[in-house]
Amino acid sequence: MRRRMFLAGLAVAAVALAQWKPKETEWPTYNADTMGSRYRPLDQINAKNFSQLEIAWRFKTDSIGNRPEYKLEGTPLMVNGVVYATAGSRRAAIALDAATGELLWVHGEHEGERGANAPRQLSGRGLAFWSDGHGDDRILYITPGFRLICLNAKTGMLIPSFGKGGVVDLKLDDDQEISAWNDKGEWVPDLIHGEIGIQSAPIVGGNTIIIGAAFREGMTPRSMRNNKGYVRGYDVRTGKRMWIFHTIPKKGEPGYETWENGSAEYTGNTGMWTQPAIDQELGLAYLPIESPTGDYYGGHRPGNDLYGESLVCVDLKTGQRKWYFQLVHHPLWDMDISSTPLLMDINVNGKAIKAVAQPTKQGFLYVFDRTNGKPVFGMEERPVEVGSVPGEWYSKTQPFPVKPPAYARNGVTEDELIDFTPELHARALEIVKKYHLGPVFTPPVVSKLDGPLATLTLGTASGGTNWPGASFDPETHTVYAYACNACLTPIGLVEAPKSISDMRYVSGIAGREVAIARGPGENAGADSPMPKREPARAGRGGGGGGGYQALNVDGLPLIKPPYGTLSAINVDRGDIVWQIAHGETPDNIRKYAEEHHLNLPRTGQSGYNIGTLVTKTLLIAGDGQVTNLPDRGRCAMLRAYDKATGKQVGEVCMPAPQSGSPMTYELNGKQYIIVAVSGGNYSGEYLAFTLPESEETTSSRTGSSREQR
Amino acid sequence: MKARYVLLCAVLAAAVAVSQDTTRSVWDGVYTADQAKRGESAYAVNCASCHGDQLNGGEMAPPLAGGEFMSNWNGLTVGDLFERIRTTMPANNPGKLSRETNADITAFILAFNKFPAGDHELPRTTEALKQIKLEAEKPKK
Repeated sequence: MRRRMFLAGLAVAAVALAQWKPKETEWPTYNADTMGSRYRPLDQINAKNFSQLEIAWRFKTDSIGNRPEYKLEGTPLMVNGVVYATAGSRRAAIALDAATGELLWVHGEHEGERGANAPRQLSGRGLAFWSDGHGDDRILYITPGFRLICLNAKTGMLIPSFGKGGVVDLKLDDDQEISAWNDKGEWVPDLIHGEIGIQSAPIVGGNTIIIGAAFREGMTPRSMRNNKGYVRGYDVRTGKRMWIFHTIPKKGEPGYETWENGSAEYTGNTGMWTQPAIDQELGLAYLPIESPTGDYYGGHRPGNDLYGESLVCVDLKTGQRKWYFQLVHHPLWDMDISSTPLLMDINVNGKAIKAVAQPTKQGFLYVFDRTNGKPVFGMEERPVEVGSVPGEWYSKTQPFPVKPPAYARNGVTEDELIDFTPELHARALEIVKKYHLGPVFTPPVVSKLDGPLATLTLGTASGGTNWPGASFDPETHTVYAYACNACLTPIGLVEAPKSISDMRYVSGIAGREVAIARGPGENAGADSPMPKREPARAGRGGGGGGGYQALNVDGLPLIKPPYGTLSAINVDRGDIVWQIAHGETPDNIRKYAEEHHLNLPRTGQSGYNIGTLVTKTLLIAGDGQVTNLPDRGRCAMLRAYDKATGKQVGEVCMPAPQSGSPMTYELNGKQYIIVAVSGGNYSGEYLAFTLPESEETTSSRTGSSREQR
Repeated sequence: MKARYVLLCAVLAAAVAVSQDTTRSVWDGVYTADQAKRGESAYAVNCASCHGDQLNGGEMAPPLAGGEFMSNWNGLTVGDLFERIRTTMPANNPGKLSRETNADITAFILAFNKFPAGDHELPRTTEALKQIKLEAEKPKK
């Protein structure tokens, strides 16, 4: 009798707990967990053996689509012995055997003109997995044409009960009519050409999947009017929309008044193009929001522009706003919140705090209590330079976190200029005479041929931490953040010809033709017209030359090293524990140093697309550029650092730059690391590394992981 | 038997050496000034909006001149660069430019990177272009 009751009790408990729980040896979501950690407690691969890693298998994405891709940015998942990823110019979903890389299934959507007109067309950054714990395993991803696809994870077949035959059209049910400009210059509803899409991986928490929105590059918008990037939550079982959060408030909603002169009616963008985070215990989601229409000119949207460049906390099930914090008032520097907010449980002066730490392009890590939005280390509204661009509206202050200190450069002064020799420094000083310099939040200027040509900036469009985000160690409460420290962006404005834009100013340099800025993967297809090129009105017309000078000195970067860094930030204390240059010194700089007998420490490499992986002992990240050293030839190195000290403890050669963020898993007692590489002449490939077989391990293992199930 | 084997190896080695004559590099005057001028115009129309008038790139596209560019291509061949351009560029309409135009644009990129001009144009066949090595440093002969 007792035994029967015991078994019955077990059965009840089993059913109650039967929601799916991923294993620590798996990588079930884009960032390893929905808290954003990019951390796995594995250490079979460690400091002693990292340099012995060899390629277990490789998957080239060339044939997944009508041409090879050269910017593969995905982080694959691994669940139940299967690797899932997006791949190829088709942005198909693929399933691979996690031990051998064998292709198990592939699903691609052919979207015709709608796909060809998508604003973000690469293979994207990944997909999502969900399971009910009873064998209903699903893969969900968003196509370039902005449709949510739900597949059976075992077979790759569409799940008919989800949406319409497995598909939800995300251009519908968006509390707005997705529209486009027609030939007559009218703004009309248009599902084919309406600009909205996404490239990041969707995220699942509980039974909710959260969908963001992305648009074209915002430096030269066609109009002050655009579609809006609302955030939505859908039911992962049925595909029914559960909630929507208006990132630009509608009339009557709080925040509408921060868009003066009714500019919330026509301004768009302000989407969430990167990955949010979810605290499943608290039932809260954290949404990182991007810039409003017009990255560098806000004269058509006076006011603070909530929730542009804000971190917003919403209820996971209802989308109701819980709290928010705007990182940049009235955005003018393209400081989109570019990566996942990190949900960390920390301990500050003996007090346990459930925190959220937001890495950013501007090199600040903003730390808040994630239950109520209160800054953990204090926040100061400080006065900043007010600009004088005609028609612009300026915020007189901006928020500055008191701690931690900036972990990347976010202003340009003479101290940031190249200093290899006094002569190089002097030439750099000459070059920057024609630019406006200043600290973070120095406003853009109207570009003038006689100067200033632009405001020179670091920590804006491609600075600091971008879409790959940072990682964190939940045991030591440490954030590990890659930052571009020399991604120099001149921000100058020119009057836009009416044929290019109805905005008064767009990004440009005096004396050069105004051209529509195109984003990576923006592909208009064979029938689309060529981009319009018109002379800038602000200076003498004609292409090339003008007042422009190359922002380098003899091919050497204008900004001094380190060009790219890795920082370890202790969030209990709010201080930077260590910071190192990441990436081999580029060949031309190494050669310059050799020829001039300069003792130059490793400079790191500039680049905005390097992601990190944290394990029990290591911090792992690869180089974004190939270098050619005599002892090892042409490689982009995948590097392992001691996470406690930042000392490099191992490296292996990759044939091409890291273009997607590394992930790891353990299968049948063997640890693997997968990283996407691509660039230059090397088309996209997922590389899986593992340790060499030893005699003991070979005999105890069978072949494919499938046989184990 | 062994002698025949050795002879066969020698013949094969010689054949390989002849067919893979990659001792030509971008320092040998592999394009003409006129071709680079044609390429400059084609570049302005098809490439500059992403890669910049000064080939310095930007958030959307990598630079096509200078240290970062040469780091990615040093040790490869002009044919590798040409194929990348021919099959994937311009980004908004890949493959639409003719081989002649692509060769002209490649010549312009070489000129902008300060490799010397010469008497013969860059050919438009991939195989011929793969015989020309992209060396950042002038080889010491």
